[in-house]
Amino acid sequence: MARAAGLADRALDLVMALFEAPINAIERVIGKGRMPYLFLAPNLVLFGIFTFLPIAIAIGYAFTGGADLLISNRPFVGLDNFRKLLACDSYLVPGSCEESLFWTAIWNTLWFVGFNVAATLLVALVTALILNRAIAARGFFRAMFFYPVLLSPVVIGLIWKWFLDRNGLLNAFLQMLGVPPEIFLLDVGWSRFFVVVVSVWFHMGFYTLILLAGLQAIPKDLYEAAAIDAATPSRTLFRITLPLLGPNLLVVLILLMIRSVQIFDEAWVLTNGGGPGTANTFIVQYIYQMAFAGDLRLYGLASAASVLMGLVLLVLTLVQLRLGKKVES
Amino acid sequence: MGDLKLTNLNKAFGTVHVLHDVNLQIDDGEFVVFVGPSGCGKSTLLRIIAGLEDVTSGAIAIGGRDVGALSPAERKIAMVFQSYALYPHMSVRKNLAFGLENLKFKRAEIDARITEAARMLAIEPYLDRRPKQLSGGQRQRVAIGRAIVRDPDIFLFDEPLSNLDAALRVQTRAEITKLHREMQTTMIYVTHDQVEAMTMADKIVVLRAGRIEQVGSPLELFDHPRNLFVAGFLGSPRMNILKGRVVIGDDRSVLVDVGYPTLLRSDVDPAKVTAGQEVLAGVRPAHFALSDSEGLPFEVQYHESLGTETYVYGNLQGQSAQVIVHRYGHFAPAPGAILKITPQDDRLHVFDPASELALGRVSGRA
Repeated sequence: MARAAGLADRALDLVMALFEAPINAIERVIGKGRMPYLFLAPNLVLFGIFTFLPIAIAIGYAFTGGADLLISNRPFVGLDNFRKLLACDSYLVPGSCEESLFWTAIWNTLWFVGFNVAATLLVALVTALILNRAIAARGFFRAMFFYPVLLSPVVIGLIWKWFLDRNGLLNAFLQMLGVPPEIFLLDVGWSRFFVVVVSVWFHMGFYTLILLAGLQAIPKDLYEAAAIDAATPSRTLFRITLPLLGPNLLVVLILLMIRSVQIFDEAWVLTNGGGPGTANTFIVQYIYQMAFAGDLRLYGLASAASVLMGLVLLVLTLVQLRLGKKVES
Repeated sequence: MGDLKLTNLNKAFGTVHVLHDVNLQIDDGEFVVFVGPSGCGKSTLLRIIAGLEDVTSGAIAIGGRDVGALSPAERKIAMVFQSYALYPHMSVRKNLAFGLENLKFKRAEIDARITEAARMLAIEPYLDRRPKQLSGGQRQRVAIGRAIVRDPDIFLFDEPLSNLDAALRVQTRAEITKLHREMQTTMIYVTHDQVEAMTMADKIVVLRAGRIEQVGSPLELFDHPRNLFVAGFLGSPRMNILKGRVVIGDDRSVLVDVGYPTLLRSDVDPAKVTAGQEVLAGVRPAHFALSDSEGLPFEVQYHESLGTETYVYGNLQGQSAQVIVHRYGHFAPAPGAILKITPQDDRLHVFDPASELALGRVSGRA
């Protein structure tokens, strides 16, 4: 062991020696103060190409029209795309809007966010509270609830589709019980319900983990003090546990909202592209359809919708950062 | 009534037996200190009394009522935790009120009790602050206040001063003692600090490895320790232990020969020992007298001057252990000097080396 460690040390020394001369040379040229930026540069280049550049391109495209992909061939249209997206007699009635699918998608997304955030938060909280107790096989359950998080959204969509299909597992089970089969994914109510169910099942493990970490950070002697103070279990939950879990609950709430607004892949696979009809068409899917799926490649309109969604997410993120700082202090 | 009776109490965590057949009677209004080294089971014993831990076997009665099956809240006890365990998201006022609200007290009664406790502990200015905004000493008072408003039969303190600095510890120690005098409620106090035990207790319970070694008043335990452990644990610096043999004097008194012409006089009953029997002789550092003529030849190594007192460290030829001699005032013997020392009358403790039990008079009980 000691010899292996010694060898590793020597190898590391050799590598360091190899780099020492060129790095010293660079330092002499650019000066010590600029060295940190040299080390940040590779990462910055990657971020630039895959994050900042696409953002800039999308913002640029949002002000252009036509169906050409090359920005030099695209006519500048000013705020036309935004005007088209926002032109509406009543925002409550998507049909009255010029771009009715956009507003259908917004309303679908809002409903989804509302139900999904509430359901995931509740399920994750209850799960975390249970897993925080000294129950048997706790480690196994923790792993089990986290496991779906590791799967690909497409796999999630396909598994549940197979489960919910006309000839799927759920219908087979219902038939065994004598209940007539239901075509869940072709029914507006059921399909919306199951999009939320799938999303909760998929993501709850992650949020459970955050809440569990928060629960474990609550000192045990507070519960002992509460026991001596004659607090009932429900008083302990509402007066001790939940207030002290507040910071974690806030983080989970904001993260959940951001992630819910972004719903796309698993729902798209599950509902065969947002069906039935447009019952499960969400914003990201609208953007995807406008840009890449339709006969007309409406890059400008899609980019404008992206920019609008980006602004909403930006606000939510700022709120999260602000809350994060508050919690830290 | 705040009297407590523990009968044949045993506690095991899995296969680890932490308390063995603990029997203890605490009278109403007593201030009792559980003291012992880390891991002796003193905190576990306190938590068992509080109802925060189950017993493996045995009975607990508070005020004559068996509380073994009762929840902590039903035992009429209040506890002050080492960490204070204040609810960080509640103001001091809400911290104090929480227990009373749980017990469905009327608002006016809650307010009256909080006002009274805040006055006693001088925490009125902080009532609307959060624990985070308070100093360690202030938090400590709030923790005590939370116990006081409950008006319990027994107060339980789990090393409450260990997070305070030295000066504050001395002050808070005195305040808790004063509080006990005013309230006359039973208090059980856990500490590993023998100074706290000696200064605060009506009754000290010395624990070692889950067993009660001795119970008695501080001075009973100091003057008449039942065994070597108690003798060594109470008193600072520790009692000096010398190896010796029993000599029966002409007047049938029991003397101890520690290898020098000077024999040490003891109060041991001659019927209990035989001449020539090996014993351990214990003398506290403060209980040596210096003399010019006769005594044990103590060779000085070095000394520590604390101003009002001086500790002289050295050894006696033929005795392996270092010997410490205490003198009041300034005293600066040169290293290598030989001092003649003898134990003061009635200050010699004699122990059986095998059983480690005291052979002389013992106060209190095991």
